[in-house]
Amino acid sequence: MKILHAYRSAPDATTKKLVEIVSEGRETESFDLNVANPDYSKLVDMIFAADQTICWW
Amino acid sequence: MAKSLGIFVSNPNQMRHVMGVTKAAVAKGSKVKVFFSWWGTKLTTTPEFPELCAIPNVDVSICADSYKQSGFDVNVVPKGLTPEKMATQAQHGAIIEDYECYLTL
Amino acid sequence: MSKKVCFISRHPDYVHDAMRSALGLAVENMYAYCTVLDATVPAFNDYHRENLEWIRDMEGEVYSNIDANVETNELVKISIEELGQKLREMDIIVPYGIVS
Repeated sequence: MKILHAYRSAPDATTKKLVEIVSEGRETESFDLNVANPDYSKLVDMIFAADQTICWW
Repeated sequence: MAKSLGIFVSNPNQMRHVMGVTKAAVAKGSKVKVFFSWWGTKLTTTPEFPELCAIPNVDVSICADSYKQSGFDVNVVPKGLTPEKMATQAQHGAIIEDYECYLTL
Repeated sequence: MSKKVCFISRHPDYVHDAMRSALGLAVENMYAYCTVLDATVPAFNDYHRENLEWIRDMEGEVYSNIDANVETNELVKISIEELGQKLREMDIIVPYGIVS
């Protein structure tokens, strides 16, 4: 199972802990939306390639 | 091969991401459905909202109850939307059941 | 097969609507769960208590890692570690709204 973790803001300790547990033993990728100019085309490709996308706060 | 994409919006500060992801997905040939709920319905007042509604292959709807709870008059349909798109949480269910990929913003 | 969905609210103003949204998915034949994380909510009114009961009637649950929510609103206590494990079972995870 391939999981994409996207972040709308910098993850705090709680989010990092949840990501760690959810990701254990699974293939994961991450994408940071909290930048001036996100590469949305790349994000969409990553969403299409993932089995599950979790967009954290 | 472009997959279909459903976007569930509950954060009132995410319009640039809604627009960016939707346009990028449509450019790849994707069918997109965007549903605004709770304070996400405040984004109906942004200049980008009617632009979003006008993009081909994009289905936009909002939660009418959330819209009312956010202080709007349900009889005033946001620019770009039609009355039948003032809907219920069943739209969220449709995103999950009928679309291949899911994103929450 | 019915999908499993979990809403996670980290802002008190989003808790009631997460429950309403969860209920909306439960009636669409999904397993719907909510977690109130790091946010304390006042005592539910009758409407919100009824929504909580409906979620449970439809085999969902509302959890919290905050003791006050467990005591005041009879939510089910969950730790961060337990929530992480529960999220691994979910088809859809909804970090809901904004953080306090």
